[in-house]
Amino acid sequence: MSDLYLSRTRNWFLSNPLAEWLIIGLRETLIGALSQGPIPRHVAFEMDGNRRYARSHKIETIEGHHLGFEALARVLEICYKCGVKVVTVYAFSIENFNRPKYEVDGLMQLAKLKLEQLIQHGELLERYGASVRVLGQRDLMSADVLEVVDRAVETTKHNEQCILNICFPYTSREEMTTAVRSTVAEYSTTPRPHSTPFSQSRITQKIMSKQEDKWEALASIRESSPSPSPPSSRSDDIEDSLSSSATLHPDSVEIPNVTIYPNAENITAETIEGHLYTAGCPPLDIFVRTSGVERLSDFMLWQGHQGAQIFFLKCFWPEFDLWHFLPVLVEWQRRQKQKERDERPKRIKQA
Amino acid sequence: MPIIPAVTVTSRDLDAYRRDEKFGHQLMTPEERIRLLKPYLPSPPPPRSSQRAQAQAQLEKKQRLGVRRALKSLLHRFVYFIIHAFFSVYLRFRQAYHAVTNLIYSIYYYHHRTPELIQRDVKGLSRLPRHLSVILHLEDNGRGGAGLERLVNEAADIAAWCASAGIPELSIYEKTGILKGYIPETHRAVSHKLAAYFGRDFPALSLKAPHIPAVVSVRAPGRGDGTEPKSLSVLLLSAEDGRDSIVDLTKTLAEMSQRSKIRSADITIELVNAELSESVMGEPDLLILFGPHVELDGYPPWQVRLTEIYHVPDNQGVGYQVFYRGLRNFAKAQMRLGR
Repeated sequence: MSDLYLSRTRNWFLSNPLAEWLIIGLRETLIGALSQGPIPRHVAFEMDGNRRYARSHKIETIEGHHLGFEALARVLEICYKCGVKVVTVYAFSIENFNRPKYEVDGLMQLAKLKLEQLIQHGELLERYGASVRVLGQRDLMSADVLEVVDRAVETTKHNEQCILNICFPYTSREEMTTAVRSTVAEYSTTPRPHSTPFSQSRITQKIMSKQEDKWEALASIRESSPSPSPPSSRSDDIEDSLSSSATLHPDSVEIPNVTIYPNAENITAETIEGHLYTAGCPPLDIFVRTSGVERLSDFMLWQGHQGAQIFFLKCFWPEFDLWHFLPVLVEWQRRQKQKERDERPKRIKQA
Repeated sequence: MPIIPAVTVTSRDLDAYRRDEKFGHQLMTPEERIRLLKPYLPSPPPPRSSQRAQAQAQLEKKQRLGVRRALKSLLHRFVYFIIHAFFSVYLRFRQAYHAVTNLIYSIYYYHHRTPELIQRDVKGLSRLPRHLSVILHLEDNGRGGAGLERLVNEAADIAAWCASAGIPELSIYEKTGILKGYIPETHRAVSHKLAAYFGRDFPALSLKAPHIPAVVSVRAPGRGDGTEPKSLSVLLLSAEDGRDSIVDLTKTLAEMSQRSKIRSADITIELVNAELSESVMGEPDLLILFGPHVELDGYPPWQVRLTEIYHVPDNQGVGYQVFYRGLRNFAKAQMRLGR
């Protein structure tokens, strides 16, 4: 028998109206109080421990996942009431497909059912102003789930107050690879030649003819000074670098049918970030992983390795509640204020 | 989030929800479920439409609730300060507790610069990491020299512990990358430390950084007494080996793609992984932080995927006891990888 039934007396006591009223009031006050301090803009949860919770309480695995879903609802409500803008949860890893088939199917059905209900109650999400996004490798989802996912995203996309990112089939390496791939794709498509009434060749000729008389004087200087053309170290680049050198030197002879690509040297971390699934979300502030495992396990690697504070908690995910989240949030607030205090003297020094 | 027991749901409503869920959500119609949740929802957002009557009603309501709201926000501010006051007291106790535990550990486990003692400590562990990684911080208070010297010392200590424990690979991450500018000096310092631990027969040391050739110590050939020659390779990392290495890879791939040498479909996880582990490093098995809390500080993101991350809460500074506890924790942890 599951030991979840053993706590009946306590539940009976806690379910009397007075105790319930007190607890509700206390929680509301605590949430209201927390939102007085600095509030993280982006929080990520790795919801680990549903199955171990189920095993340790002798209930079905899928029951554990259902309880985990309830915990997610609690956490979302806390976050949104505090004023967190983006919550990202790790619902399903690509590695999870290695699990027994009935469990994978059960999880898929659970996700489908919850998203379907979400669509039925569109106006409820509006109250929070929350839009749902599903991050991950879409082609791994079955067609029926994908259809529901798309509908859920579609019905909530006009809500702008906060975002719920559901990572579903997701791994961070896959996300980064996809971002690299789409960045490369963006930089290797030619921008459409925009039609202007001005002819480039005419302009070039004008400049050439104007410079003609200066040319002789310039040539003597150029011979003595190092050549201004970009140094091309690799020999096989010469043929290809013509395309880029055409953009660099307006006075060089124009070659017909040359494709001008955007310069790959302009790619920065921000470019790649713009191609991640979380593009447009504020930087990650808090990363929470439950069940005492101290690894990131392929979740939010790019987002979490700079500036995010990582918390590994001992409790299983279905147990996760305000009482576990409160210390995390308070500690984060303290460190945030500490950081501000550290930065202030620096700014004064600079001024 | 709707349809689900809200944070403040009473147990009667929670029961109703769970009963409904058990029967596959057939007991209640969507309308009934909404009614169940209505009392727990926040008030609807202010209407965006410019209906004057509605706005008027809102205004009246606001004025009526003005005093109550002011009191409420006063209460919230008060509770906020209470929470933070309590938390700082709790934090003091926690720090004191951790400091005492740390002290006990540091007395109980000390290396005494003797490899045999370290070997005895790690003998009971079921497994050791093949590749250990640490994050160090440059404490620089305007005096560059002292911070750098401390950093080199810490690196040398950790390298000596690794060599004694039998961990063949060590990578040292330090955000600014200052050590990379002093590779020969660091190599000398670490070699000295190894000599202090092992005596004349100290293990071979190779020290390198990504894109910088390794400095390898020249070592007298083994005396042929049957003991295999030990060696340690140390890798120095900095923030530019993280995101920037991925950006550089993307640049190269984009250039190749512009010259039609690859198609963008050729870019797979395997390709990126192979390139990054070739040019930076492979995945470390264990990452030990010597700071008070977990913050990766720009550590290479691609490689940290499955790395076990260990830190001692509220610890400050490099210590052998932290190193040893990290190894012990690693031996206990189990890998599941999605299963």
